[in-house]
This record gives sequence, structure tokens and C-alpha cells, in this order.
Amino acid sequence: MNYRILTKRLLFLVMVIWAASTITFFIPRLSPRNPVRERFAELARTGGFSPEDLEAIVADYSTRFGLDKPLLQQYGDYMWSIARFDLGVSLNKFPKTVMELIAESLPWTIGLILITTILSFILGNWLGALAAWPKSPDWLKNIATSFVLFQGVPPVLLGILLIFFVGFRLKLLPLGGAYSIGTVPNLSFEFFIDVLRHQLLPGIALVLGSVGGWVISMRGMGVTIQGEDYVTFAEHKGLGPKTIFRDYYLRNAMLPQITGLALALGNVVTSAIVVEGIFALPGLGTILFSAIRSNDFSVIYGIVLFITIAIATLMVVVEFLYPLLDPRIKPQ
Amino acid sequence: MIRKFKTISALIVLLSFLSLTVLSTSAAQDIPDVPREETLVLGWSLANAVVDSTNPWSLPGYTHQQGNAFMWEPLYYYGIFNSEEIPWLADSMEYTSDDFTSLEIKLNPLAKWSDGEAVNAEDVVFTFEGQMNNTTLPYHAAFNQFVESVEAVDDLTVNVTFKIPAPRFKFEVLTLKFDTGIPIVPAHVLGEVENVNEFLGGLDIPHSGPYTPIVWDLTQKIYDLREDWWAVEAGRAEVPEVKRIVMSNIEGQQMDNIAQRIVNNEMDAALDMRSSVIKSIVEQNPSVTTHSGDQPPYGYLDWWPNALWMNTQLEPYTDPNVRRAMSLAINRELLDDIIYENAGITTIYPFPLYPALQEFADSPAVKALEEELQPGLYDPEQSAALMEAAGFTMNRDDLWEKDGETVSATIQAFEQIHSDIVPFLVEMLRNAGFDSDVNFGADAYQNMADGVTGLYMFGHGASLIDPYAALELYHSRYSAQIGSSAGNNRFSRYSNPEYDAILDEMAPLGADDPRFQELAAEALGMYWTEQIDVPIIQWLHRIPYNQTYWTNWPTAENPGLGVNGAFWAHTGMLVVTNLESAQP
Repeated sequence: MNYRILTKRLLFLVMVIWAASTITFFIPRLSPRNPVRERFAELARTGGFSPEDLEAIVADYSTRFGLDKPLLQQYGDYMWSIARFDLGVSLNKFPKTVMELIAESLPWTIGLILITTILSFILGNWLGALAAWPKSPDWLKNIATSFVLFQGVPPVLLGILLIFFVGFRLKLLPLGGAYSIGTVPNLSFEFFIDVLRHQLLPGIALVLGSVGGWVISMRGMGVTIQGEDYVTFAEHKGLGPKTIFRDYYLRNAMLPQITGLALALGNVVTSAIVVEGIFALPGLGTILFSAIRSNDFSVIYGIVLFITIAIATLMVVVEFLYPLLDPRIKPQ
Repeated sequence: MIRKFKTISALIVLLSFLSLTVLSTSAAQDIPDVPREETLVLGWSLANAVVDSTNPWSLPGYTHQQGNAFMWEPLYYYGIFNSEEIPWLADSMEYTSDDFTSLEIKLNPLAKWSDGEAVNAEDVVFTFEGQMNNTTLPYHAAFNQFVESVEAVDDLTVNVTFKIPAPRFKFEVLTLKFDTGIPIVPAHVLGEVENVNEFLGGLDIPHSGPYTPIVWDLTQKIYDLREDWWAVEAGRAEVPEVKRIVMSNIEGQQMDNIAQRIVNNEMDAALDMRSSVIKSIVEQNPSVTTHSGDQPPYGYLDWWPNALWMNTQLEPYTDPNVRRAMSLAINRELLDDIIYENAGITTIYPFPLYPALQEFADSPAVKALEEELQPGLYDPEQSAALMEAAGFTMNRDDLWEKDGETVSATIQAFEQIHSDIVPFLVEMLRNAGFDSDVNFGADAYQNMADGVTGLYMFGHGASLIDPYAALELYHSRYSAQIGSSAGNNRFSRYSNPEYDAILDEMAPLGADDPRFQELAAEALGMYWTEQIDVPIIQWLHRIPYNQTYWTNWPTAENPGLGVNGAFWAHTGMLVVTNLESAQP
């Protein structure tokens, strides 16, 4: 392990996190909206608060959350809290902390979006590779390329259509939610099946909507690799078609796809925002959407920071993974 | 490579399993099974709910609308459609002086908290003094303005002394209806807490209401009926047939999806919906009914009639002629015909026409003013004449212009509830020469509060039984200065000493006083003459009631206690506890 390179990458990671945090800090502040006032105004709309008290209460809570300090001081406090891994409390759901909100919602995002992203990757690349492999039967090639039809259809639209036809009209699967209404999460097999039933429609929508892209890209890589000398050499050596497909063909075609996977994983939360809303899933996207609507700075910062760290770390990991996958590549 | 692939695959499987495990164990608990036939499923947004925030005094997370109304009870409720008080924790609340400066409250001797402690005078005194002393509580200003002192005479009797006559305090503050009023809180619990605003309450907080929360997470809240609810023994209520309430979080879901869940009998009721959606639900599932059955308008009159508010301190809205010209550009009859299927809900009043207020509106004095001032008139020519008199001329875009500026009439509004009507209003105003548009953005409410130029589509959440509260919205004490934030419902920033004088004379009088009625009519006449805002529509709550599992919902044909059918309102407890099982 080249520690010098590792140190450089980690420093770069810190810089990326710092830059992203800074941009994220200032962007919501460009809006004149005050999330504390909006929260109390919403409560006032539902009855009770008088206008005289509203301003006093808003001022009190603004002080409590440090919103009355100069912007640069708030920025300094924010950076210091990040350095201590303290993401603060939600302005809208005080005294709930940002970490608590992330911890409660993350499993749903990982459970659905992450898994379907990886499933799409695996399925799409296998199908793409088979679509380009000359020895694949025609029917298999046709199945593979048929997924491309869904590529242009946004997963959200697929989701709405699936909900309507499969859930509403045919009543085969639930219309939404993470599990059946009135069910309390537990470790039973029944609950597991219940969750699985509720994840099927969104899962199908997400997989169908993204697998076509992997098929196309992998098919393109596969066609390129077919003409390579080492594939020809392997054939002339007398290696079996399965061995050639797996060790010479697929392995070499996968490398650019790994980078694509890292980028796709980076889109997990951004796509989660809409998908989780359509299917009423209590994931990170739903929390972020709610925070954006109410301009809950703390939660926005916390989730975006979390995503930034996750993606940046992922990129570093992928970079160090490459030499393991391809010995020809050495860290620079 | 294969070994690495297998390793990576194994990691993915482990991660999925861990996610499911974390998810499962994070809220794993056993709760008793309750059959669907005894469970009420309600769809409501829990987005801003702070989990475990059950203490009515916790801020900013507490709201009664997300099921907490099933836990907390008041001295009195009010049945708006029957115009009847419903004594609850109190047996009586009577003013003991003719000038409304003292009030005697007598509690029901059988009222109890869920921990077995009696609800007594100490709790009432604690509740009232808390509102008086804690500046962050919602009714602090009202208590501060009116209440001199509160005294427990004995365990069941409380005397309240007011600083000034407070004829409406008993109704506005101490009676729960719609979304206003205060519940009584337990002194023996909150009195022991260091900071009541930061004390969430949790699922175990002693309460007097019939339902206790047993589960609360991001997706739902579950309440179970407690068999020892005091109101049954006291004769206030029968044992509820709803044994469990599940409030399912519908935040972020499309209206169509929620409607589908109603049609598929997954939910028994949900938030109020637009006319076309309700109509579709009723057509697709005959078990679903509404306040007006399966016929338009599908809803009941809500307490929030909407108007086009405007900041009367900003040009050109400082000129009553400009305000009147805008009103003359609105064809209320057409709105009623096209959007509300002739439901007759467009309005000229800043208050809802509940029975007592309808009586006021039908009084000879008000009718005479209506005849004279014609507040609901649609007359584009007269509108044009007023604009010309105000110094405006038509530019080549057919917009009124003065000193190079058109009349900005962008309407700040909320898409979820105004998407049907506001675009119509925009077109009507444009046709009359006003530079109109709509802003459904997330900053709409902030713009209203900040008093930006333009119009604000918002309700008058004020009067319920007499017009004072609505008319008082325009008192100059609420006229916030330019640059400061206006309070809720006080967007007009209107200031008129003559108007203030009328309201000040009304304030100490009871609604039955003939002088009050005279003054109210006079104030309403001034509201129309000055065109302080442009009243547009009464508000309808179109709530679908699925009768597959539950019947006896409050409807026009079946008013019951006379409360509105919104399960999220303070009176929601009365709705739920009176439901009857359709599948006993």
C-alpha cells in the first residue's frame, strides 16, 4: 500500500467535503425564508398563535439555533460542528437531531435504491455482455435488447403506471408504503415478506428504468473486446466458451462499468427523492424533500454532507479497487 | 476475479440484511392484534411531526392535527352545525358578571387522567397560569390581554377574573372547535418538568382523552383505545367501537395515489380533496360518502373563507378605488358555476355562514348594506372607471399603468389547495387589465407575511359564531409596519381610526346585545366600502368517508353532535368515538 498516495487521496477527500459543505451552507441562505418562522407560521395557520407572540417566539428560537448570528460566524460554527461529527438538530423537528433522522431513514434508501441500483448493474451487464457475445442464442439477445425500450422511460413514470395497473386495478401488490398500514416492524418472516411485497413495485420500476442503460454500454464494450488479440488467443488455445466469456471477455469489459456504477450510486439519493415520494417510502429522499420544502437548513446540510462524504469516499474506494481488478493499473 | 466478485456479492447481501435488521429492530415491539373491523385507518401528513411530541406545550413540534387531538380534551367542545356547546371536562362555564369580567368553571367530578389522577381545579389553574406566564405558548397573548387572575375555589371550581370585559374568551379560548382553543394539561406532570417547551411528552404522558399512542415512527402513528376512559363512566360518551386508530403518513404522496387507497379500502378517510378527485372516488367506490353524500359539493363549510388579501400600506393598494376595481373584476357567479358546480359557495363575507353568522348576514341592517354597496357585483366597466379615476391608463398590452408601472396582481397561493381556483382568478384579473400571475412556490406564505406587492389568497380563520373575530382582523393594532412581518391572517395591515373605534366599542359587548349587532353591521359596511380585501369563496372540506368498515360519519343528513367531519381537528375525537362498525 502506497501510503503517500493514500494520504493524498484522503486530503483530496477532505477538500471535496469542505467545498461541498461550504457551497451547501450558503445556497439555502440565499433565500430570505426563515425556517423557524415558517414552522411557527404553519402552526399558527392551524390555529392558536397570535401575531404578537409569533415574532417573539421566532426570535427566541432563532437565537437558540444561532440564526441571529452573522452569517460568517454561523459558517464557522457549522464547520466546527462538522469537524466534531455533530450535524446538529432539525429546525423543523426540534429536538430531533439530524443524525437520528438519517439513521431512521437510511435503511429504506439503502434497502431499495441501493439494492436496485446494484441489481440493475448486475443484470444489465450480464445481459449486455450476452447480447454482444457471438455464441449467445438469438432469443437471449432479443430479451437483452428489449430492456433498452425502457431506458427512455423515467422510473417515476414507470412507477405511476405500475401503481395504477398492478396495484390499483388488479390489486396484486400494495399501492405504496414501506409495509402494511398498522404493521409494526419486527423480525418475523411475515414482516419480511410484507416489506418485500411493498418493495416489489418500486423495485421493478427502478430496475426496468435503469437496466437498459447498462445493457447498451456493456454491449458496446463487449463488441469492442471481441476483436482483441487476447480473446482470439484464448480461442486458439482451446479454452472453453464459458471460460473465455467470464475471464477474458466479461472481466475486461467490466472496468469502465465499475466507474459507471460509482457514478450511479452517487445518484441514489437524488433519484430517491422522487421515487420515495411516489411510493411513500420513509427514506432519505423523503426526509430531504421535506427539509427542502420547509427550508430546514440543518437537515439539508446534514444529508447533503452525508451524501458528499459517501460519494467522495466511494470514488476513492473505486480508485483503489481498480488495481485489484486490473493488475495493469497502478496507482499514480 | 471470481473470488472478488463473490466477496463483493456477499458484502451486498450482508448490507441488505443489516439494513433490514436495523430497520426491524429500530422499532421492533409487540403490540396486541386488533382486527381491521375495529381499526380506523386515516391518511394524514406526519411530515412535520416530531416523533414522541405529545405534550401540548412542546415547541415547535407539537400540533393537535396529527392525532394528538385524540389525547387531549378541553373544558368544552362546540358543535358548529348545531350551534351547541358540548360540556366536556367542565360541567359548566358561566360568566358571573353582566360585564363579562368574571367566569366560573365547574369541573366534572368524574374526569380523570389516564394514570388515574383526577382532573381538578389545580390542572385548570396550572393550564391558565402557564399560558399567562409562558411567552412561547400559543394563547399567551390572549391570556395576557384579558386574564387578571385564576383561582381554585375548591377541587372542582375555578374562578377567572378578567382585566377587561371578555365576552368571547370562553368561546374563543376555552372551547375547542376546529383548530382553536386550549386543552387542559396535567399539573402533576408538566409542573414537575424543568422546561415544558423542550419536554416532548413521549407515548406515556398522562392524558384525559380516550386514545393512547403506542407506536410512532416515520410511517405511522398508532393509537389504542383505553378501556378506562372517564367519559364513559361520566355519561359523556358510549364505549367507542373504534379500538385502534392508525394514522398513516401520506406526506409527499400524490393526491391520486391517496384517492386510490381510499377506493381500494386501504384507508377509511384522508385529507380533504379537490372536487374532481372526490367525485371520482365516489363514482368508483359506492361505499365512500361525503358530507353531502354522493352529490356535489361533496363537502361541508369550513371556517376558512378565502379572500384576495393585499397590503393596504403599499401603492397602489392604498387606494380603496383600486381595491374595489379588483373586486368588480371578479365574476363570482362564473366561478361558482365552473369550479364549484353551482354549489353557491362564492362569498362576499369575511366569515363562514354558519347558522349564527347566517342569521347576522340575513339581518335587515346587513341586507340593506348589501343592497346599497353591492359587494359582490361584477362590472368590468365600473372597474375600468374606478381605475381611470385613480389615475391609471390602459397601455398597449391592455394593462393598467401609472407612472410607467402596471398594477402588480401576482397572487401568492398554495398549489395543493388553490390550484383549481387561482388560475381562474388570474385570468379574470388579466382581462380587467391587472398584471396578474400566480406564485405557488414554497415562498408564497413568506411573501404574504412580508407584505410583498400583489395579492394573497388566504382564509379568514376567525369568526365562528359572531362576526367580531373576523372584523377584528383589520384593527390597526395588527397593522404591522412595512418591512416587518405581518402575523397570520393580518396581511392587510389596514389602519383606520374610525374602524378601530367601532371594534373597540363592540369588544366588551355580548353578541346578543342589540348594540353589538348594530356596530357589527356598521363595521361590515366599512369593510365593504373600503374593500379591505376581496372575499372570494367559502371554503369546503371535501373529505372522503369510506363506509366499508365504519359508518355514522357526520354528514349533512347525519349531523350527530354537529361537529365538522375533519378527524384532524380538535373535535376529531368526537367524530372518531361516535363511529359505528359496518362489520360488527
